[in-house]
Parts: sequence; structure tokens; C-alpha cells
Amino acid sequence: MPQDMPPSGGYAQVQYKRNIPARGFKPWQYMLGMHAIMAYGFYRYFQGVREQRELAREKMWSRLHLMPLLQAEEDRDQVRRYYADKAREKELLGEETKVYNSDRFVRPTFGYLPANVSK
Amino acid sequence: MAQRDPQFNQKLLVDTTPMPDHIPKVEEIGTTSAFLASASFAIGARCQAFNDDYMKCKDEANGRGEFDCLKEGRKVTRCAASVIKDINTHCMQEFQAHVDCLENNNQTFFNCRRPEQKLNSCIFNKLGLKKEVPGSPENQVPVWQRPKQMYAEYPGRQF
Repeated sequence: MPQDMPPSGGYAQVQYKRNIPARGFKPWQYMLGMHAIMAYGFYRYFQGVREQRELAREKMWSRLHLMPLLQAEEDRDQVRRYYADKAREKELLGEETKVYNSDRFVRPTFGYLPANVSK
Repeated sequence: MAQRDPQFNQKLLVDTTPMPDHIPKVEEIGTTSAFLASASFAIGARCQAFNDDYMKCKDEANGRGEFDCLKEGRKVTRCAASVIKDINTHCMQEFQAHVDCLENNNQTFFNCRRPEQKLNSCIFNKLGLKKEVPGSPENQVPVWQRPKQMYAEYPGRQF
């Protein structure tokens, strides 16, 4: 009995590889795209940061220019109240007492309200 | 909890005693915040010297600035009042437009570049006061002259 032999010309190639078409772009293209998007995002972000910085500077200087004006008005008001307190004290006690052992201006803790003034 | 509203038997709750006579009188500025914000850079341009003088006086008065710097304070107030008066005489419409815009936009400058541009050019032409923000980078357009404001409600060109 003749032995089984390979077919003439040899066996056909055994297909062990998968033969699926590669979908989409190449991986390096995705990588590039991601970096491009992120680079644009960072670009816009830092643009915004710079603009915010300038806006903050503008706002701060706007207030710095006004601060002496508002402070001067407030100081005048405090001085007016101080002298009014002094005069009232003189009228009630007959003498001026020195409350603090210091020449500094001390903002009063308690304010005076007129007793009978209605408006 | 029921909210208990304060009940006052009188309306006027401030000390109304006038300033004693030995201190010279000055009319207070009496301007609301939006007008001040709008005019702030003009005030800064004209009154820088007075402002610096006053703040330096306060700094060096050793806690007695309220009494010792009244004179400098009056100069500051008079100077600011003169700026407001000049703007009112020369740039009334632009001033009012910018203030209205500020009032409608939470007093943010970046939403009001169009009226601000007109106001700035009017103030520069009529009064010669230029808006400057110290410390701004030299090599770029100042933020108040950029037509597009990134953070404005309308992000396109404002003027």
C-alpha cells in the first residue's frame, strides 16, 4: 500500500495571519492631532491669561487713582466727628480728658447719634 | 426664622455737627461710583502729584494723618472735582454714555470699550489727559485699545 504523500507541488500556505483592513488614520497621525489641539488650547489659554492680567492691572490702577480722594473724604469726616465729640465732651464734663496715652488718631469704637434729630 | 427688620424711630443716624471753623471748608466730591470709575484715569493723570503727596503725608504722619494731612486732602478733593467739572463741561455726552454702560455691565471696563474709546479721545483732545496704566507691557496694544475683548459679553469687535 503506497504511503500518503504531500500533494505534488507541496501544501498550500496555511493562513495564520488575520487579514483585516486597518481602520482610521495611522497612530502617529492621531498623536499629532491630539498635540495640535492641545497646543491650540494652551495658546488660547495663555492669551486669556495675559488679557486677564492686563484687565486686572487696569482695574487696580483705576482704584489706586481714586483711593486718595475717597480716603481724604473719609478722613475729613472722621476729623469733623472728632471735634464734635470734643465739643460735646467739653459741654458735658466741663473739661477735655485725654483717653489714650498717644497722639495718634484713634477711630472711635462708639458713634454718637443725635437724640432728637429727625429728618 | 422670622426676619426682624430694624425699627428706628428716626431716620437720620449720623452726627450732623458741622466742621469747626478753624478748618477750611471744601466741597465734597459727591459723585457716585460709576462716574468716579469712568473718570478715574483722568483724575489719575491730572492729580497724580496731589495724590502721591497726600498718601506720602499719611504714610509719614505716624498715625496722625487724619489731622495733619487735611490740607493735602483738600487739594486732592479740589483737583478731582476740577477734573469732573472739566469733563462735564467738555465731554458730557461721552461721559454719560460710558457711565451708563458701566452701570449696565457691573462696572467692568472690558464690556464698555466703545464708549470708553470715545470718552478717552474726547478727554485727550479737550483736556489733554491721557489714559495710562503704569506697568503695562510696552510691546503690545494696551488692553483698552484692543477692539476685541476676550472676556466681554460680546466677544467680537466692540468698535
